[in-house]
Amino acid sequence: MSEEILKALMQLFAIIARQDVGLSLREREFVESFLKQQLSESSVNEYLKLFDSYILQEGKTREENDSGEVKLTSVKDSVKILGIAKKINRTLAQKQKVVVLIRLLELINSDQNFTPQRMAIINTVSEVFNISKQEYKAISGFVIREESEELDIPEILISHSYPNQNINSHFILSHQLSGSIIILRVQSVDLYFLKYTGNSELMLNGLPVKSGRIYNFANGSVLKQPIGKPIFYSDIVAKFISDTVETNIFFSVENVSHIFPNGCMGLEKINISEISGKMVAIMGNSGSGKTTLLNVLSGSENPSHGKVNINTINVHSDKEKIKGVIGYIPQDDLLIEELTVYENLFYSTMLVFRDHSTLQITEKVDKMLTSLGLYQIRNLKVGNPMNKKISGGQRKRLNIGLELIREPSVLFVDEPTSGLSSRDSENVMELLRELTVRGKLIFVVIHQPSSEIFKMFDKVVILDDGGVQIYYGNPVEAAIYFKKIDNQINSDVGECPKCGNVTPEAIFNIIESQIVDEYGKTTGLRKVQPKEWARYFENFYKPEKELQKKTDLPATYMKQGWWRQLNIYFRRDISSKLANRQYILLNLLEAPVLAFLLAYIIRYIDDPASGVYIFRENANIMPYLFMCTIVALFTGLIVSAEEIFKDRKILKRESFLNLSRSSYLISKINILFLISAIQAILFIWVGNSVLGIKGMYFEYWLVFFSLAALANVIGLNISSAFNSAVTIYIIIPFLIIPQMVLTGAMFSFDRINFNLGGGREKVPVIAEIMPSRWAFEALAVNQFMNNDYEKHFYDMRKLESAFNFKNVYYIPELKGYVESYKSRVIAGDDDPLKKADILLLHNEILKENSSFYADHHQIIFEDVSSISPENFNLNTADAILFYLEKLESFYSENFNRVNSIIDRQISEMVSTPEKRKEYQQWYDENYNSPLAAFVKNTYAPLPLVRLGNKLVQKIDPVYLDPSDRRLLSFRSHFLAPNKNIAGRLVPTFYLNITILWFFTLIAYLALYFDILKKLLLFFERNSGNSKSSLNENEKNPIGKKLFYKDLEDERILSNTNFN
Amino acid sequence: MKKQKTILVILLLILGQFMSGCQQGQRQEASDLLSDSFSEGDLRLNNAMIAEVISSVPNPVEITSILQKSGVVYSQDLLNPAGNISNYNTNFQRALNIGVYGTDLIYMNIYDRTVATLRYLSNIRELAGDLRVEQFFDYATLNRLSESSKNVDSVLFITNTGFDKMSRYLIDQGRSNIAVLISAGTWIESLYIAAHAQTTEANRETINKRIGEQKKVLDNLLLLMNFYGADSGLDELIEDLMTVKKEFDNVTITYQYAEPSIRESDGMLVVVDNSRSKVDISDETVRNIANAIAVVRNKIIE
Repeated sequence: MSEEILKALMQLFAIIARQDVGLSLREREFVESFLKQQLSESSVNEYLKLFDSYILQEGKTREENDSGEVKLTSVKDSVKILGIAKKINRTLAQKQKVVVLIRLLELINSDQNFTPQRMAIINTVSEVFNISKQEYKAISGFVIREESEELDIPEILISHSYPNQNINSHFILSHQLSGSIIILRVQSVDLYFLKYTGNSELMLNGLPVKSGRIYNFANGSVLKQPIGKPIFYSDIVAKFISDTVETNIFFSVENVSHIFPNGCMGLEKINISEISGKMVAIMGNSGSGKTTLLNVLSGSENPSHGKVNINTINVHSDKEKIKGVIGYIPQDDLLIEELTVYENLFYSTMLVFRDHSTLQITEKVDKMLTSLGLYQIRNLKVGNPMNKKISGGQRKRLNIGLELIREPSVLFVDEPTSGLSSRDSENVMELLRELTVRGKLIFVVIHQPSSEIFKMFDKVVILDDGGVQIYYGNPVEAAIYFKKIDNQINSDVGECPKCGNVTPEAIFNIIESQIVDEYGKTTGLRKVQPKEWARYFENFYKPEKELQKKTDLPATYMKQGWWRQLNIYFRRDISSKLANRQYILLNLLEAPVLAFLLAYIIRYIDDPASGVYIFRENANIMPYLFMCTIVALFTGLIVSAEEIFKDRKILKRESFLNLSRSSYLISKINILFLISAIQAILFIWVGNSVLGIKGMYFEYWLVFFSLAALANVIGLNISSAFNSAVTIYIIIPFLIIPQMVLTGAMFSFDRINFNLGGGREKVPVIAEIMPSRWAFEALAVNQFMNNDYEKHFYDMRKLESAFNFKNVYYIPELKGYVESYKSRVIAGDDDPLKKADILLLHNEILKENSSFYADHHQIIFEDVSSISPENFNLNTADAILFYLEKLESFYSENFNRVNSIIDRQISEMVSTPEKRKEYQQWYDENYNSPLAAFVKNTYAPLPLVRLGNKLVQKIDPVYLDPSDRRLLSFRSHFLAPNKNIAGRLVPTFYLNITILWFFTLIAYLALYFDILKKLLLFFERNSGNSKSSLNENEKNPIGKKLFYKDLEDERILSNTNFN
Repeated sequence: MKKQKTILVILLLILGQFMSGCQQGQRQEASDLLSDSFSEGDLRLNNAMIAEVISSVPNPVEITSILQKSGVVYSQDLLNPAGNISNYNTNFQRALNIGVYGTDLIYMNIYDRTVATLRYLSNIRELAGDLRVEQFFDYATLNRLSESSKNVDSVLFITNTGFDKMSRYLIDQGRSNIAVLISAGTWIESLYIAAHAQTTEANRETINKRIGEQKKVLDNLLLLMNFYGADSGLDELIEDLMTVKKEFDNVTITYQYAEPSIRESDGMLVVVDNSRSKVDISDETVRNIANAIAVVRNKIIE
């Protein structure tokens, strides 16, 4: 208060005091005590002198005009007062003016001299101050009247120990209070004033309250009574505005029990019944199931028995209806560390408010930040608890703010004060307490609250070991309840009579007190077992009559549409990622650095005498392709493996918001795809350039990206299913190593365990499910077939290869079987027929008859049916030989044809030295011989093998189309150039890419439905069940045995008796 | 069947496109690639005759072992560098050089230079693959054998039989031109190594005699090659070999027939051929032949 104002006030006081009866001693004492409140001791005297001098002046003028009329003086005073009031009007805020008015009234009230003159002056002042008539009436009534009956107006709240008789005023019952507490609300300025008429030792914010004095009951104030529950600012506010907020939430918990997957009892028969505007504590020592209860109540975990209803809607079975009504603030931070305080709140708000413009949301967020006291630090990054940017209390408040901003009707808070200083704890709890004013129902799990905080709760639920409910009711009464059972002295006193403290520790000491042995040592055995406490409680607790009306749920926020959510998620993630420079830098550098290292290491010159790198001779191209797939998998997995895991807390909260999981996932996937796509570009660009792989950047990129994208989604799957970072990183090798092994690059499919399908015609089934194989095959086949050189010759060479194979290996092999038969006949073998050989001939000739070329050469073996073990004879053998001869010469001739065409082309290309140089360069830069040897399986130990009754081509797989064109046989041999899809040949490259994306789709669906997590849970539960069922099984046989044994004994007994 | 037909047509069309892109301007009809019926060789040479000529080309083992026995020093410089393989893109080059490398391999093996043989082996295998006759070289076996100098005989045996089988197969398959070229390559390289052998005067004679004997082989080869004349590259080779032939014209071979006799050797009776051929060849002729063959040889290996 400025000097000027204080002077003006002194003048006002003086004028009023001098009116009519003059200054009384009491009035002077009031002025003195008023000044003491405002100023230091020395200044008080100064202003008191000033006051006295004003009084004297007033006295003089009064004496001078003593002969004159009293009214004249009063007019003069009125003019003066008007002047002073106007002066005050210019400088003071409305709130302060109300305070001034109250002080003036108090001055008069100090000795009860309500002369008309004085009242007229104050009336004038209030008019000048623009205080409404009604409020003035309420204020003056509040200051002047003592009896509660006289204050039966809606601006007043009264608290006393006897039942309320008033109709209009508000009321709080205070059991052991002498006199009344009267509280005035001045609605226009949102101020509360307090007056006490009794003589109990009341404490307002730790300071004693003098009877009759008027106190400002400021925001967050606590009025403590010597005995009984303190009155909080929020209680008062709640009473006043309860007219506008109607009770709209009925929360009931009926006989809820929960059994853990391992068969342990988590919760046992919990009963709670609450309405809106309450704050309920859930307490218990550690391991007693507090958090489990909170999870069950909030609907995130299903109870084994019983039900939880909100307005008759079941929280667990009708999740959809209830979503949005419930808010959940877990113990851990829900903050995205890379984002600022503002951004954290902003994005979370964006998600839940549809139909709000960005501006409106910005306003809302700013308002919320202001009320949380975080506005000043709004642009600070949140950081993590290890790397603190903002304090623990600020983090907590921001966490709560995230939830508050959408105003859920029922709020669950898990240990909001853990790790906070007592000051921060109180701040946080007051924040929550104020919410109840607005009709929220709040459940708080709390551990060892201070007395202050403990008393803030309306109700407390106390759990004991095994999730047994042993108390539900008023917190202060809890102390009394337990003391009584424990037969303690002064058990009817809930709190410390001197300090008013209720220590929850004391309660838990009683609950957990242990039996002491004769040496005074605790035995570790509890005096009262949880079950006993539960029995006591059953007798004590009378469930309230069901209040449940079928009310509609309060209107919740409107969440954003799918696209908007996606957009917001995307922006939120992007800005959090961009804020983390290290992350961005590493991710951008990882791929090109790896690519450079890899490519540079394996870029070598084959000819030690030469100094020129020749791509064609580099034997490391195939390994490079292999490494591409591994790097794609690794980078893809690493980038995503922690994504959902990191967000899981935020996700848990957001699951209450009924937000779309798919939009969250798709935004995640989009970002990861973006990262992977960039990484793929960088990797392929650097790697391929260093190795001198010409062209085909897009194809390489597409394979790398497709595989990385799949790895992204697989990574998301594990990050969503597993519950620790370590597990996730342990899982990665499990995902990578089998893929490395089964790529087809490291170990030939011909040389893997036959039981797994190795060495057969087609790629082993186990490798079919390896994404790396599809990617590697696509890369290898593409690099071989589509490089600029081979592209030119591929189709011809394919024909050449086919003809050559038939001519060189296939037909001679068939001939061999027939000729062996013949020679056995000649040798006079008794059984020259080898059934398997005949069947093989039958199969192969049948195949040859319908082969790709048969249409053309028209060499058909008509009588295939004669090639059977029954009908086979020398004639058939000769017929087959004749047929094979014809085939052979067809293939031989056509081989020569194609071969010479190719040769002529090449000869032309190298016909002059310049052309030859050009050709050589073209060849060296595009074609890679070692890779060609790999895809042509040049070094195959056997060019063809017999599998059962058929022959399988092993060489030149890259020139061989799958022969099986049946609808569903889409599997083929490794490195086939084309694959069969419903009887149509599709290029391997595109098919493999499609398959990778198909895998991605499946992985996405698995992610969307959280199948991996469900499977894990299922197994966990099953192992739990089997454990418990095992126990039963164990029990039963024992029981049976005993039973039989008894019978047996009886029989023996009876037998002996008989004998 | 219909689908297969369409696929075939598409395939042939693609092939056709390549053909039309061919600079030689001969527009190949797609169906040319697949003959409708197998035609009996129209103007083919008699396979038996080709085989005979080819078999008259001396085995490089013969020549190189004579060199070794005559104390000729091994010379790395005489070999066709293994790195040259990347230059061989046409069947013509491949066929000639598989012969060249074959001779080199044998030469090296005779002199127990087993380390370097691996590369020559793989070159042979590679060229054989390119020529689509890889079935005659069991690369794994050869590789294994050449790891130890004890296996020299086996390597030589397998290489030799491989070459023999390959020639026979090629002739059978109507690719006798390739077979002839392989033989030519073998012969050229053998002659080249022999003609460039540095040795003492005494030993010179034996070698010179062997060189002189090649006159007839060259005649046979040229005779055969002229049949394939039109094939690209061959004309040039024939022309080049003609310069060698000109040098050989200075060699005279006289054949003297004598009754064979039987004599005992180590307790066994053996038939001794007493017929002799006398080869007249001057050192200068040998030098000229050496120079002429070097020109041809260096041209084919480049």
